[in-house]
Amino acid sequence: MTGSMLKIEGLTKRFGGLTAVDNLSLDFPEGKLHAVIGPNGAGKTTLFNLITGLLKSDSGKVQFRNHDISGLKPHQISRLGVKRTMQIKSVFNQLTVAENLSITRQSAQRFLHPLRPASRDRQTRERVDEVLEQMDMTRLAGQTAGTLSYGDVAMLEIGMAVISEPQLLLLDEPICGMSPAETERAVAKILELARTIGIIIIEHDMEVVFGIADDITVLAQGALLVSGSPKEIADNEQVREAYLGRPEDEDYVDEAAHA
Amino acid sequence: MSGRALAERGLLAVFVVFLLTVPWSVPLLLNPFWVSVIAEILIWSLFAASANLLFGYVGLLSFGQALFFGFGMYGVGIGIDHFGLSFWPAFGLGIVAAMAMAFVSGILAVRLTWHYFAIITVVFSLIFYFIAVSAKSVTGGDDGINFALPPTFSFGTVQYSFADANFQYFFILAAVAICFLLMHLVVNSPLGKAFLAVRENDVRASLIGLNVYVIRLIAFVMAGFLAGVAGALFAFFGRYASASYMFYTFSGEAVVWAIVGGAGTLFGPVVGASLFIVIREVVSTHWEHHSLIVGVMAILVVILAPKGIVGLWRDWVDTPADSAEIPAAPELRTEP
Ligand SMILES: Nc1ncnc2c1ncn2[C@@H]1O[C@H](COP(=O)(O)OP(=O)(O)OP(=O)(O)O)[C@@H](O)[C@H]1O
Ligand SMILES: [Mg+2]
Repeated sequence: MTGSMLKIEGLTKRFGGLTAVDNLSLDFPEGKLHAVIGPNGAGKTTLFNLITGLLKSDSGKVQFRNHDISGLKPHQISRLGVKRTMQIKSVFNQLTVAENLSITRQSAQRFLHPLRPASRDRQTRERVDEVLEQMDMTRLAGQTAGTLSYGDVAMLEIGMAVISEPQLLLLDEPICGMSPAETERAVAKILELARTIGIIIIEHDMEVVFGIADDITVLAQGALLVSGSPKEIADNEQVREAYLGRPEDEDYVDEAAHA
Repeated sequence: MSGRALAERGLLAVFVVFLLTVPWSVPLLLNPFWVSVIAEILIWSLFAASANLLFGYVGLLSFGQALFFGFGMYGVGIGIDHFGLSFWPAFGLGIVAAMAMAFVSGILAVRLTWHYFAIITVVFSLIFYFIAVSAKSVTGGDDGINFALPPTFSFGTVQYSFADANFQYFFILAAVAICFLLMHLVVNSPLGKAFLAVRENDVRASLIGLNVYVIRLIAFVMAGFLAGVAGALFAFFGRYASASYMFYTFSGEAVVWAIVGGAGTLFGPVVGASLFIVIREVVSTHWEHHSLIVGVMAILVVILAPKGIVGLWRDWVDTPADSAEIPAAPELRTEP
């Protein structure tokens, strides 16, 4: 697959005097696993909020495939197949894991039947079971989402993002707060998903980023610092200085540089 | 089926049998006056259900439901008194008027969230309350509209009307039961699940593809329907329509009944409305400050049982037998 899946042109977002996203232009080609990295406050989450319609940009354009999605409402963008997870995990806390998933699935339908029992929808039930299995959460199906561990909430949120067969998945620090075992499971899941759909992932864990990304975009102060393959990024002096200076990240970066 | 579901079915069956035999059992056990109190409780339960649909299922705290109750009342009163309508068209006019008003005010109100929403519902209520009080020629002003009751059904010379106390009771019971059945279907449907999604997390709801605005508006109109039916029934029941039922404090009572009974449960409003009206009827004959008891009870329930009486009962039933030591639960247990 070639061509661009998501194209951003001259996107700007200001919060008062602060320019969180600064005349940013990016092009994410089809069928790849893209990572977006950058120091705290670089504007990564704001970028996702602009793409998914949670925030309105001050100027600029977002194009998803051949749809101009700038100015669309979040639900309209979601219905085009752009799904996301949040940095601050966001699920339906008082509902069970299975309910979270089935509501998410049914909400993607154009018509919400007002009188037929939701539980009688066999296709949804089967799909929920399938995703529970995929996410290794079957045993948690009946548990209230608000009582899950942080890692399980993150897993559930990924499950909710994938249950309606997204075309493009935006993951905002999906493995932050996960145990090593959970991280491994989530990374495997993300790699598996990346075979069929486009993924953009924001992540601070450099081991994960350099391990799975096809290309990496580095943001700083709302602007593009550089983008390229993991090797190019690892070799980039500017990035090393601005962002990858931390000793704990050196190993992965060196590994990537010599790969 | 879980033990709780079984127990609740049992209670529901007992409750249904009780309701179906009220016109005979209640005069025997108490006195005939209580039959009409129970009819009134049914209407207030429906009114509280309207507040509950918004607060308990969609997360919108409305102090404006009295407005739609009032439109239901005036629809009937004006329909009969000014337009000379018969029973059913007047009933229909009341319901349609309430839903139309809910739609129009909802378009503005549901854009707002939380306290802004609550405030604007109060504002709408106040505006229309003062219009109703001042538009004397249409609404009868402070006196309201007293009207002669048309028959509900007439077959040749045989007529059924609210003049027959038993007919009145069963008509109200049937209408309220149908509304509760509809609400039961809606809250368990995909649309009802979308209500919960919006209540729980509106940002997440929009990200999974729900048009939060439209969902809230649908719920608002549905709640307007429930309040409108309640208002129309109350107009037939009292043979009059009055602006005093349109005041926002009356909406507040419905919210309190729903929360005390158990917001977000189908029967919470029934429990809450029953409790408060029984207290009012029993105490008000002896003591004029009965609302004080109501207030204290409401505060106690909100502190001790944030999920309301139905929630308390559910926690109590769901607690394994070996640790069943929830204080005060048995005393507070009521019919579903
Ligand atoms: N809603 C908002 N109102 C005001 N300022 C905001 C808002 N959202 C973000 N900001 C500011 O915009 C800047 C970019 O924030 P953003 O959350 O996009 O950064 P980030 O790259 O995701 O950082 P992190 O790695 O810490 O998640 C920050 O300075 C932040 O304080
Ligand atoms: Mg962020």
